[in-house]
Amino acid sequence: MSGVASYRWLQSIRLGPDLVTPGLQTEAELARLEEALFGPINLAGAEVIEVGAWNGAFSLAAKRRGAARVVATDHLAWTLPGSVAQAATEFAARETGLGIETRVMDPRGFEPSFGQFHVVVATEFFTQLFNPIAALKGLRAITSRLLLIETIQDGMEENRPVMMAHTLPTAYGAAVAGWAPNPEAVKHMLRELGFDRIFHRDHPTAGRGRGLYAALLPETPEEALTGFVALWTSLTHPG
Amino acid sequence: MDLPKTPLSNSALLNRIKQYHWFHSIPLRPGITTYGAKTEQILEQEERALISGIDFQGRTVLDVGAWNGYFSFSAKRHGAARVLATDSFTWTHRYYRGQETFELARDELGLDIDSLLIDPTQITPAIGTFDIVLFLGVFYHLFDPIDVLQRMRAVTGQLLLIETHQDLADRTQPGMVFYPGTILNNDPTNWWGPNPALMLHLLQSLGFARLLYRHYPHPPGTPMTRGIYACLTPEADLALVERLGPEWRELDAPGMVAALAAEVRR
Repeated sequence: MSGVASYRWLQSIRLGPDLVTPGLQTEAELARLEEALFGPINLAGAEVIEVGAWNGAFSLAAKRRGAARVVATDHLAWTLPGSVAQAATEFAARETGLGIETRVMDPRGFEPSFGQFHVVVATEFFTQLFNPIAALKGLRAITSRLLLIETIQDGMEENRPVMMAHTLPTAYGAAVAGWAPNPEAVKHMLRELGFDRIFHRDHPTAGRGRGLYAALLPETPEEALTGFVALWTSLTHPG
Repeated sequence: MDLPKTPLSNSALLNRIKQYHWFHSIPLRPGITTYGAKTEQILEQEERALISGIDFQGRTVLDVGAWNGYFSFSAKRHGAARVLATDSFTWTHRYYRGQETFELARDELGLDIDSLLIDPTQITPAIGTFDIVLFLGVFYHLFDPIDVLQRMRAVTGQLLLIETHQDLADRTQPGMVFYPGTILNNDPTNWWGPNPALMLHLLQSLGFARLLYRHYPHPPGTPMTRGIYACLTPEADLALVERLGPEWRELDAPGMVAALAAEVRR
């Protein structure tokens, strides 16, 4: 217990029958998002990378669901002065016995040479990125089959693809702190990057304010599509 | 040793001009102007809006996306000490053959202007930093304009001049529209339309200390579909912009973004 208490937690992660990390995001909320993201796919034997892992809840979940290899990465949350989020993730990995790797990586820096992953998962993706376009290109560079994105959404009243920015005060006024796209914008950006089938659904607990996207490359086997039913709709092949 | 070039006859020059597709209409000799898709009249309006109010005297200038070179030539004629014209897409385009057109016009005008074949996505301070950077008609042609805007900041010593297509100008919330395929003007090279609120905050993010905005001068009646931004670094000599006319607004003044959006909604 002393180990758990020595970290600040964003995510509530179950480490044992009676031990859950005291995160701001509850275990129940995370479980619903995990099921929404991973429920439609078979992770057995897959190579998975998580981008923006924070405390690694979804990386650990992927490993628990049978992934052969999981790499948890983060940049901002793991490199801010005084941040213990990476150490907390590694602590959770040790305590659960789920062997995941950790790497500090800025998604803008991903190149194909970093590796190819069957599944790339990125939650809270657009929110804290000054340049989400460069980051999306980075995600594409390391995806061999499926990209899963969870993000805040905005511009839902526009029927055109739009991406709205939010700002924070700075010395010279207000800086762009992050972005919120609408589904049309996510669809078209991902298509331009080579994904050909893109599915969308509302967030399981936050509703329309947030969205989930599953984008598949043309070489992905057809059977990988079969789980994207019920609450998922195809943005690229409607009806 | 450079041998002096033998001047072309008027008919030979006309024949050379006719070999190319021109975007800028550039007067090269009395009675001889390149046949540009953009007319002399429009370019003169753009020059008055973009160049004439800026103090170019003795400044170093980078022109990004120079194409046929009209604004590089204009900057030099307005007193710039050094002008570096750059382009890649139009200069290497099989149909536009932009670098040949730029060199023909530059040589004919006898202007001392350097050129560098480089795409804006590759520009870094390795090519130098410049008092004034011209970034005209380029932002919306970029799939990742945020990255290139960061690059422009890195090579701007004092003043970045941006001219761009824009959209969502009736909104005060910063944002931009994505144009897949050929949706915008049937042109597959058009990608994004930002609004003035977004330009303000992107540019403030990059450390520009003062931001001025004016409507694009042409065509009248649709002032907000294109916009012009003068972005000053903290080190900028304010003499650069002290001759700008009343059509320029302080974009970073409280309430200015809302006032511009209200103009569009009217």
